[in-house]
Amino acid sequence: MMVPVRCFTCGKVVGEHWEEFKERAKEGDESPEAVLDDLGIERPCCRRMLVSHKDLVDIVSPYQ
Amino acid sequence: MTENFEVQFIDRDERTARFLVRGVSPAFANGLRRAIIADVPTLSIDSVRIIENSSVMFDEQISLRLGLVPLTTPPNEFEEGDIVTLALDVEGPETAYSGDLRSDHELVEPADTNIPIIELKYPETADSPQRLELEADAVMGRGRDHAKNQGGVAVGYRHLQTVVVEDDADEYSDSEPEILRGVIEERAAEHAVATDGTGEPENGALVATETFDNDLSKRYPDKEVSVRDVDDAFVFHVESDGSMSVDELVTNAADSLAERATELEQAVQL
Repeated sequence: MMVPVRCFTCGKVVGEHWEEFKERAKEGDESPEAVLDDLGIERPCCRRMLVSHKDLVDIVSPYQ
Repeated sequence: MTENFEVQFIDRDERTARFLVRGVSPAFANGLRRAIIADVPTLSIDSVRIIENSSVMFDEQISLRLGLVPLTTPPNEFEEGDIVTLALDVEGPETAYSGDLRSDHELVEPADTNIPIIELKYPETADSPQRLELEADAVMGRGRDHAKNQGGVAVGYRHLQTVVVEDDADEYSDSEPEILRGVIEERAAEHAVATDGTGEPENGALVATETFDNDLSKRYPDKEVSVRDVDDAFVFHVESDGSMSVDELVTNAADSLAERATELEQAVQL
């Protein structure tokens, strides 16, 4: 639903970078690889946290 | 311990560091690693009193997210079990961030302020916006009790390695990449090629493998090389979650090791 605060595997705080990642890679046209490198998210375990995430609040909120 | 350890920094930052320790056994190196992960107490939110939560997430889910937010833990200020109270009050349509947490201690604040906790809406069908108001107690705890209290993230070490030049490579063979990761100690500088950012190769220098693309054939072109571990020398990689600087984290971990060793010594003497 919301982006995980930390990486499940190593515990690095990844939630911090979600909004920038979303803006630049998901909605913008930069390559996700370059953005993740730029944000300092190096390990594959942390990278998958952002790459595979989808915000669901907008989808759920009407049914509250 | 009769002899002193020798510590040399390779990278040093507020949140990440890489350093070489000489004169330690593998057992001690692992002891230090474990102490960094499990024995340095940090503050993190442990219990939450929800005053109002009309967001799309359950109270428990929000509490879990709050618990994972790293809080700055000033040195020598708190003892294990001490409590700091934090409060959060956000009304939609807006996102509640970790930075919206207010604490009752001036030195305690979220280490990262940009973590989204929950997106609050003002649905058209509702007559009031979603709202999140809560009070939370942050408790000083250890990583061995809960992972949210781990100050160190992805802490590890590897042997310091060194490269031995065996011979010239076969003139007609295809050169294949020789991938190596970590840090090498230069002992055959006369065969090495300068790589970006390291200057002229020099015996005894520590070279991180990323400076030559993790490929030994770029550092030692046209040579046949083999890699050996250097005895009793370990390169640590420590990353902090922001609750304290890497320096403090490692010093605290070493102190906790020393403390337990003294405790054991006294217990045995009785």
